[in-house]
Amino acid sequence: MKQKKNRIWLLLILPGTLFITVFMLIPLFSLCLTSFFPDQSFSFSSYLKLFGDVYFQQTFLRSIRLSLLSTLLCALLGYPTAYYISKHSRHKGVMMALAVFPMFTSPVVRSFSWMVILGKRGIVNNFLVWSGLFAKPQDLLYNEFSMTVGFVQLFLPQMILSLIGVMDNISDDLTLAAGNLGATRLGSFFHVVLPLSVSGLVTGSVLVFTGCMTAYTTPQLLGGADTRVLSTMVYQYAMSLRDWTQASVVAVVMIAVTMLISSLFSRISRKINPVA
Amino acid sequence: MALLELRNITAGYGQNIILKDFDLSVEKGEFVSLLGSSGCGKTTCLRMIAGFSEPMAGSILFDGKDYTHVPLHKRNFGFVFQSYALFPHLTVFDNVAFGLKMRKLDKAIIRKEVMHMLKVVDLEGFEQRFPREMSGGQRQRVALARALVIKPDLLMFDEPLSNLDAKLRVKMRVEIRRLQQEMGFTAIYVTHDQEECFAISDKVAIMNGGVIEQMDSPSEIYNHPKTEFIARFVGFENFFDLTRTGERAFTLPSGAQVNTRFDHAGACKGCIRPGDIAVYPAGADVPNAIAGRVQVCTFLGQRKQLNVATDIGEFVVSTDQSQVFSAGEAVTLSLAANKIIPID
Repeated sequence: MKQKKNRIWLLLILPGTLFITVFMLIPLFSLCLTSFFPDQSFSFSSYLKLFGDVYFQQTFLRSIRLSLLSTLLCALLGYPTAYYISKHSRHKGVMMALAVFPMFTSPVVRSFSWMVILGKRGIVNNFLVWSGLFAKPQDLLYNEFSMTVGFVQLFLPQMILSLIGVMDNISDDLTLAAGNLGATRLGSFFHVVLPLSVSGLVTGSVLVFTGCMTAYTTPQLLGGADTRVLSTMVYQYAMSLRDWTQASVVAVVMIAVTMLISSLFSRISRKINPVA
Repeated sequence: MALLELRNITAGYGQNIILKDFDLSVEKGEFVSLLGSSGCGKTTCLRMIAGFSEPMAGSILFDGKDYTHVPLHKRNFGFVFQSYALFPHLTVFDNVAFGLKMRKLDKAIIRKEVMHMLKVVDLEGFEQRFPREMSGGQRQRVALARALVIKPDLLMFDEPLSNLDAKLRVKMRVEIRRLQQEMGFTAIYVTHDQEECFAISDKVAIMNGGVIEQMDSPSEIYNHPKTEFIARFVGFENFFDLTRTGERAFTLPSGAQVNTRFDHAGACKGCIRPGDIAVYPAGADVPNAIAGRVQVCTFLGQRKQLNVATDIGEFVVSTDQSQVFSAGEAVTLSLAANKIIPID
């Protein structure tokens, strides 16, 4: 009887498992293989070559730096917003719809919008010149600044959504209990609300960080020739240089870094709130 | 002077007024219960005393000082939540220590106080557990310890036992009462369970529609309810009009004579519990007799309930199992003179 039941469960997960195996695990595995077999024999040579390359080093560090910075900005901007929507907003549905609204437009359209806004004749530069802060329009596009702006706008909704999900589960009684036991508003925030929302902060951060690391359109459109990141580099190797081995090496490095930093985030979370 | 005094309080949410011109006073060391059905304003009242919300009008005096607008973290009041509201990310030790840490006490002192309090609530050895690893009754005791360890000037309970099973509820209420008598704290206890609050309190305030209908000792409320609402609440089911004819002598609207143990100028309303009415065959010569006819006879285990139609309405009577009456039978009811209670 139990055996039979188990087989039915197997049937249920079979389609999904098959799909992921065929279209994700096998390609990923062959990608890894390609990166370790540059000339039909196993070697680390492609990796050594890549990490010895100054251009790659810069790109590698830029990718991580921009992703971490965008994650931090998303956390700083998203936390108060999520807190307000979850705990103090009367029109929660409307506020949430507004927060996730940007997700309904494609990243291509959004990147082009930023070009219009941040360009030499864009509204930001017009304002800077008009207000007399700067004499000439500034270079706001095709650099790390515009990329960060693009990343933050692209992934902020993810951060807000993960945080709201967790904050909704923090009972108001807990903050009242903290206050009743003598905690100030700030005290009950730091001792109760923050530790209990860390898991949402981490989920959001993993989503934002992974998103930033792997985003292609935004860095391609808002970045310049000297601000390449790993994802645009993969494209460059594969499509422009036709070097599939190097492309797969960069891809493997990208995956490894993303997984490493994501697991680091979760470890921090477990330190702060061992229960969640 | 009372330790806690609520004067002319109006409270509610927006347009919805829950308490109006509400007064309450609690003496030092007293255990006072607020009893009432849901929506009567008892929890609103308790949360306002704790400082979770502010009254729209009126004032809260504590120990002679105006506490109306004192922020909740500056009132040294303990609060035991219905949901316990334990911090899920903290161990039992840290939960109990929370209030002391906020008071910035020395670590060694905190440790001593917390361990002592855990011993008091019989939770030694549980310090490193997390709330989710404990049973409902244990969580309840952690909540109690957390509220007690700060030595509150006033301890509030918001239906603290409603999430426990019946057996544990009885055990815990005895425990709470024991702690209160040992430590002598002043307590306000909110519940909708009559038995629970009668068992535990020095005084019970029965609330109805945002008003305290009567506040007295449990036995006083049980034996001398002041209003029909209270009387019904504590088991009176038969109500009738009385008109005075002489000293402790009244007539019923049907003309029947009734002698009582109380006196009351003019007319008043009287009431009696089903168990305080005896049933005799029709025409029996008994004091305070009312003639009637059995309508329904219901089996209730140890007792039997008779619904008897009389000239002044239906009477509910509870009789001994040995007495046999059948529907339609004519009977004479005898009201025990000392059990008839006047109400407003």
